[in-house]
Amino acid sequence: MSFVDFLSLGPLITLCAASVIAMLLVAIWRNHRIVYSFAIIAFLMSMTAVIPAIIYIPHPVPPLLVIDEFSLFNTGLILTAGLIILLLSFNYFEEREERKEEYYLLLILATIGALVLVVSRHFMSLFLGLEILSISLYGLIAYLRARARSDEAGIKYLMLAALSSAFLLFGMALVYAFTGHMDFPGIGAALRQAGYLPVSVMAGFGMMLIGVGFKLGVVPFHMWAPDVYEGAPLPVAAFIATISKGAMLVLLIRFYQDIQGNNYPMLWWMVAIIAVASMFAGNWLALTQQNIKRILAYSSIAHMGYILVAFLSGVQTGLEALAFYLVAYFITSIGAFGVVIVMSSSLQDAETMADYKGLFWRYPWVATVFTAMLLSLAGIPLTAGFIGKFYVVMAGVNGHQWFLLFMLAINSVIGLYYYIRLVATMFAVPAPGQQTTVVPALPIAGNITLGILTVLLIGLGVYPTAMMQLIQQMMRILS
Amino acid sequence: MMGLTFYIAAAIAVIATVMVITRYNIMHALLYLVVSLLAVAVVLYLYGAPFIAALEVIVYAGAIMVLLIFFVMMLNLGKESAIQEQQWLKPRIWIFPSLLCLVLLGELVFLISQNHQPPSAIKVVDPKAVGMALFGPYMAAVELTGILLMAGIVGAYHLGRQKEKTLHRFLEN
Repeated sequence: MSFVDFLSLGPLITLCAASVIAMLLVAIWRNHRIVYSFAIIAFLMSMTAVIPAIIYIPHPVPPLLVIDEFSLFNTGLILTAGLIILLLSFNYFEEREERKEEYYLLLILATIGALVLVVSRHFMSLFLGLEILSISLYGLIAYLRARARSDEAGIKYLMLAALSSAFLLFGMALVYAFTGHMDFPGIGAALRQAGYLPVSVMAGFGMMLIGVGFKLGVVPFHMWAPDVYEGAPLPVAAFIATISKGAMLVLLIRFYQDIQGNNYPMLWWMVAIIAVASMFAGNWLALTQQNIKRILAYSSIAHMGYILVAFLSGVQTGLEALAFYLVAYFITSIGAFGVVIVMSSSLQDAETMADYKGLFWRYPWVATVFTAMLLSLAGIPLTAGFIGKFYVVMAGVNGHQWFLLFMLAINSVIGLYYYIRLVATMFAVPAPGQQTTVVPALPIAGNITLGILTVLLIGLGVYPTAMMQLIQQMMRILS
Repeated sequence: MMGLTFYIAAAIAVIATVMVITRYNIMHALLYLVVSLLAVAVVLYLYGAPFIAALEVIVYAGAIMVLLIFFVMMLNLGKESAIQEQQWLKPRIWIFPSLLCLVLLGELVFLISQNHQPPSAIKVVDPKAVGMALFGPYMAAVELTGILLMAGIVGAYHLGRQKEKTLHRFLEN
């Protein structure tokens, strides 16, 4: 490896080193605050390491990795999201009686997995990144072992992730058997040369889609999502909803672009059916839920469906829309989970509708933030979510995907119902003498983080131009 | 002739794997799993990958399986486990897997005595080339595998720790 390789892979190498140091730190001196501070410094350093890498882009590190605008942008996005989740985690774990230090170690490791996915351009690095992410997540999901549901959630994720990895591997083997390549451009070239998509490669792509779809939590591979979100510690649920899904999505885009998936209608239809099914299943199932975590889980399934619509539009605007939607979705999702985190007491998570009844009259600040996040999820103007959805619709119009757009419009209306219901619950005037079950912790750091997220949310909603220009510049290289 | 040896080995792999998932007793399942892995190793040898075949035997059938079997045996200690082990290792339990193994051994001996050469289209990769690839262009993959193992160890350490009776910090003093 050359010096430039090291510089380009800086963010990744920094985090890898940090994970080893963090492990030694925990072994020598077990202290929650120290490990927490160290993890924050590690993330900040890794984010700084993105800057020197910019000079050398695009810089492929053959045969496994590639550093270009697209991967660096997403590296930055993932690291920022990881840092915000980290900031929200301290108080949440401080109040719980398990050993806390390993959490930060596993969080760093899981982020490494996500970063590998973002920069990978080869089946081998794809699989390694995916497995690092999955294996860290097993530990993270079942982290609070004293809780009743954590074991169930962990085992569920373990079983399904292992099964989906098996499908993914089998799919890769089938693709490799025909094309003789494991790097994405090589596969694309081999398929173009063949001029058609043989059944074995089609089956391979289908099986790979199972593995990818599981990580994305799209229908029909979504069964785990509500249970895992409910059983996992809240910061981990936020991590799964954003970083884990985002990294996989980035990889999917890169693969699809490299093999020029738009040339194969069969592939398009497979993804289209998944997208429509995700939108409907996610929104319908969320309608009847009373548990906030489950609502957020189903809502994230539906949002993956929206993102896939942008993905399928087959035009340049679609990729831009996707990247923008991803940013908006990251901010909104972490914000929504962040509210639930600061609202949770040391005894239990604030997860039922009843905990939020009349919240506005008790804690106006938290209620306002939550309202902003929910409106953004619903796609109401002045929020980042609206611009994201608008961008997706624009991409759909450019690509003439009228059917998908029609489905998206119907689902936005269905989705509106349960977001607004939640908002209405918060603004309901509480009956006199009513007792609330959960006494919120409301840590200062958490509140500041939520404030930053809200500013970002409104900022992107009112003035999206800067972000759009950045994304347009970045996406030019992918076409 | 090579086709026949392949079909026999493949059939053994399929039969053994079916037996793995239909056994009620985990020890019996593990025995068949070893046979299944050995059969796959023979197939690999047949197709000109002797190095991978050896790795399959050493790593999977050897290290990982032995670890699993030890793990299961260590879970139930005491006199009961001795009786249990006797029950596990009744002749009718181990005879069928051994028969399958014997067939595989026969195949292997036959292949070696025939001075078996893989089809000319296949390029045999020797251990040196594998090592050069792993520590040359694919070094990043090796390092990432290390990170993967670390994630596994840390996760297992945390989840596997004995649950101690912990008090909330407000209740400690």
